[in-house]
Amino acid sequence: MKRAGEDFDVAIIGAGPAGMAAATTIADSGPTVVLLDEQPRVGGQIFRQPPAELQQGPLSIAPGYPWARALIEACESHQNISFRPRTTAWGTFREHPADGRGALRVGTYADPGGSWIGASRLVIATGAYDLPVAFPGWTLPGVMMAGAVQSLLKSQRVRAPGPVVLVGSHPLLIILADQLIAAGGEVLEVAMARGLPTPREMVRALSAIPGHVRLLTSLAGAMTRLRRAGVRISTHTVVDRAHGSDRARAVSLRGIDGAWQPTAPARVVVCNTLVVGYGFLPSVELARQAGCEVRWAPSRGGWVVAHDHQQRTTVPDVFVAGEPTGVAGAEQSHADGLIAGETIVRDLTGTALPARRTRAKAARARSFARVVEWMFPPPLTELADLVDDDTVVCRCESVNAGQIRALLDHNPHVCDVNAVKIECRAGMGPCQGRYCGTTVAAITAQRRGMPIDQVGAFTAQVPVRPVPLAAISGMDS
Amino acid sequence: MPEFTRVGIARTRYLTFEFEGTEVPAAPGETVAAALLCAGVTAFRVTGSQGARAPVCNMGVCFECVLVIDGHALVRSCMTPAREGMKITREVDA
Repeated sequence: MKRAGEDFDVAIIGAGPAGMAAATTIADSGPTVVLLDEQPRVGGQIFRQPPAELQQGPLSIAPGYPWARALIEACESHQNISFRPRTTAWGTFREHPADGRGALRVGTYADPGGSWIGASRLVIATGAYDLPVAFPGWTLPGVMMAGAVQSLLKSQRVRAPGPVVLVGSHPLLIILADQLIAAGGEVLEVAMARGLPTPREMVRALSAIPGHVRLLTSLAGAMTRLRRAGVRISTHTVVDRAHGSDRARAVSLRGIDGAWQPTAPARVVVCNTLVVGYGFLPSVELARQAGCEVRWAPSRGGWVVAHDHQQRTTVPDVFVAGEPTGVAGAEQSHADGLIAGETIVRDLTGTALPARRTRAKAARARSFARVVEWMFPPPLTELADLVDDDTVVCRCESVNAGQIRALLDHNPHVCDVNAVKIECRAGMGPCQGRYCGTTVAAITAQRRGMPIDQVGAFTAQVPVRPVPLAAISGMDS
Repeated sequence: MPEFTRVGIARTRYLTFEFEGTEVPAAPGETVAAALLCAGVTAFRVTGSQGARAPVCNMGVCFECVLVIDGHALVRSCMTPAREGMKITREVDA
């Protein structure tokens, strides 16, 4: 299944708001762009569209993003953009691997085979994924991430079975509950870890962030509709455990105070679907594998890719845009993509694009992201307290928290997550630690009394996503 | 068994694939995962000691929905469009 390598001026990994903005900015100025995504269409998770067979009428775009439709259409039709759907970028390489010099090459896989893509600039716009949160019972069928339930509804047009209970701390849960009810679903409760912003706080936030009015008004509208539909919206409430043997049948919820201490005994709510939405983790493994430095930014989702104000990473021909720089939403991602695109155009053609409007947009997006951060910060370290010894932490290899704690107690020299991985296999399965890395780090940090950023992150190795070995070995090197 | 419900758009045509010897209907455009969820399947992956697993992320990250599809192991069913006549089985966990 050999396919010849191809060369482009710029390779962009991820076709969400950041990747699309970079792609169109660059392609409009002449250079050739290859845009890769694992999904069948451009748009990223936020604007994920149904496949053509399930689409009815025009593109459906979340309210509040006036630029999205034209951007999606441009990426689908631009003569300088070659879009590669259902394509996995599993690693980056150099022409001269011995000294790490020479042109970039990206290893890609699309059924049925692998191929190389050469480029003189790389933009990593790999987005984010739902923050995995381990708690007793979270491996039961019926426990799903908010992004899963929403994308099944939006892009597959299938609705999760009710009754549905949603637990988390992210405003997406309110929007999703509203969407489920609009699609005929049965939602019992939305349990939020913190308080919800008061109308007064929302209004204050509104005046600080012109351009994002529709996002917050759609949130307020959704809350009104949920209350009218009889959905219980509880605050200062977290998930305690999911109940069931073959699948989830109920969830225990408990009230907490500001320090995450229980304020009342847990109560049980019957549900067939338990939706989890405590925030998002930036997808940084491809950037780390490419040698880009990361830094710890807990309020923006954990490990984020270091970059300058032109979106350049610590590897000079590798750029980063959107959520891998810190989870901040579609508006910020779009602005990042525009800036990365402008920088690359200047690099490649010597042409400086007029950037004033981009800067203003970026500044506005940043102030909005700060407001969301302040209203809904992801409770990364507190969440590790949900895990008891029997809770599976590494889903792939079925390693539970008790095993990890025991190995830490028996091996006092182990204080790095990669050592934990070698000792107990947590993080060695096909998800490559994406679903257990944060919890393993939190448990290790807790046991050692160290800050979580001091225990490291799983090393990002090639391939950063599992691809059939036969496909890779058949590629010309 | 509670199953996912098809909503929003009328499906006029269905294809079928085989999952563990049973025929499962899927509308064109649906992923294998979506069609199985609509058929009420809750056990996508069966682990040795920790019970059944089903799709968690629906974006290709968690690998809990992986199946053996037409002889290829470890295929993410949430990223795979259903096709007529596919032969699908569960992964067997060691």
